[in-house]
Formats: sequence, C-alpha cells, structure tokens
Amino acid sequence: MSINGNINSFNYSNVTNVNIGTPDEDNQIREWLSPLKPQQRHQGVRADRLDGVGDWFLETNEFLEWSSGGDDFLERVLFCSGGPGVGKTYLW
Amino acid sequence: MVRTALSERKGKQMSLTSINISSLVIDSLCDRVASGEKDLALAWLYCDFLAHQEQSATAILGAILRQLVSVGDMPENIRERFRKRFSDRGLRLPDIMGMLKTTIPLLPPVYICIDAVDEATPKSRQELLESLREIVRESPSARVLFTGRSHVEEEVKKYLTNVITVPVSPTGGDIRVYLGARLERDTEPYTMDDGLWKDIMRIIPEIISEV
Repeated sequence: MSINGNINSFNYSNVTNVNIGTPDEDNQIREWLSPLKPQQRHQGVRADRLDGVGDWFLETNEFLEWSSGGDDFLERVLFCSGGPGVGKTYLW
Repeated sequence: MVRTALSERKGKQMSLTSINISSLVIDSLCDRVASGEKDLALAWLYCDFLAHQEQSATAILGAILRQLVSVGDMPENIRERFRKRFSDRGLRLPDIMGMLKTTIPLLPPVYICIDAVDEATPKSRQELLESLREIVRESPSARVLFTGRSHVEEEVKKYLTNVITVPVSPTGGDIRVYLGARLERDTEPYTMDDGLWKDIMRIIPEIISEV
C-alpha cells in the first residue's frame, strides 16, 4: 500500500461528533496535542528497509495472535526484545 | 579480514536500517486496513536518544492521540479542551490521558507501536509505561507493541504483567539479503571477485549468529 500523509486511522464510522469545527481548527488541535511528527520518521525508516528482511516476524504466532485477537484476549502487550549486539532497529 | 572489518564497523554508528520490526508491523497493519481485512486505528512513536528534549511522556502520548484523531471527526471533548487552552496551564500528562481514555472507546480497535522504548529517558519511560498500563487496563480494544533492547524487558514487565516477549534477531536469510544489498552498492566493485563475495556471504552470517 502506498502510504502518504494520513495513514493512521481509517473508516471511523462510529465516531460521534456534535460539533461545528472547521478543518483549520482541527489542524490546530492536532498541532496543539503534540509537536512530534512520527509519520515523518516512519517514512524514513521504511524507505531504508530492505524487502523481505524481518518478514518472518509477521508470521510468528505471537504477532498473529496479538494483531487479530479480540477484546477478551488477555495478552494485549508484546515486547520485541533485541540483544545488545543485534539491534531491533538496526541490524548492526 | 572480514571479522576485523565487522568488529570495526560495530564500533561506529551504523546508519543503514535493515531490520525494523515496528515499521514492518505498522505497514502490515495498514495493509490489512487497505485490503478491507480489518478496521483499526493505528498510532506509533519511534523513541530516539537524540530527541530526549522533545520526547516527554506527555509529548509521546499526545502524538499517539494526535494520530488517532488524524482523520474523522474531532471528538467533542478534545475540541472543548482546545478552546479553553488559554484559560489554564498548558497540556499536562493527565490532560492527555483523559482525552485518550475518552477517545479510544469511540474508535475501532486501537493499535499502538512504541519503537525503541529503551531510548526514552528513564523518567519518560516510566511515565509512558504507567500510562500505557492504564490504557490497556481500561480499554479492552487497545493493544500495544514495544520494541526495545533486552535490558529494559524487566522494567516493561514490572508495569505490564501480561506482556508477551518475543526475542528478535536477524535470521541468516535477513543477513544475506542485507549483505547482498550492500555489495550491490559497493563503491569499489573492482576489488570484488566471486571468492570474496562467497566468503562474505558465508562468514558474516556465521559471525553474527555467534554474537
């Protein structure tokens, strides 16, 4: 999928809103909530990623259960742990 | 020679990303939405040693909330709080937490990815873990994925008792893909021959698997 700009949230059909905000105000609100721009960092990281590297993780039972479990699923937190010599962000 | 080159390289700051679980997870979840397989709301943050000043727990969780309300209608309580922003102090952690807790139930299942949690300052990390514990406890639809060095594993477990740990290290296949890509971009290709290429592809994965 091509990822540009607003990729974080999707098809919110059940968000209730009884207000009269403007798009300008919505943007101001988002700026006010946090100055950080994680989308930009994500674009940089994914641009450097090599196809196929790490894909095995997406097939692990832990990830598959975490990503598709229902609300009654207890283990809702995953910690992906990298050793000191082998970065979880960088190969070395 | 290869071994020496590798150890020299490990002593320097490495700049080429080759395995990043968070970015894979983020893209994978986006793909599920795009294909219509699953409706979800997604937010993330990459913690960074170099951004300690900016990455307080308040700013990190604010960035999570900002992403969750990046499309769709702005929840009314956030708009109301914004309109009162000049009559009180600036945003504090409890303000962000209050807004997060009221926003998450309005959304599809919420997925939060925090990359390199070990790179947050100890204070930010503690506040972040405490806050995410509250969110997971109070919002059954919320789930969180952290990546981090193994030395913060105990700290994460202290706050999030049901956490599942997945050890991550590059497989032999990962390393060979990476090496192949690096050799393709070799700036001195005339020094390469088949024998050296084969040695590199054989020896370096062996050395890394020993680390």
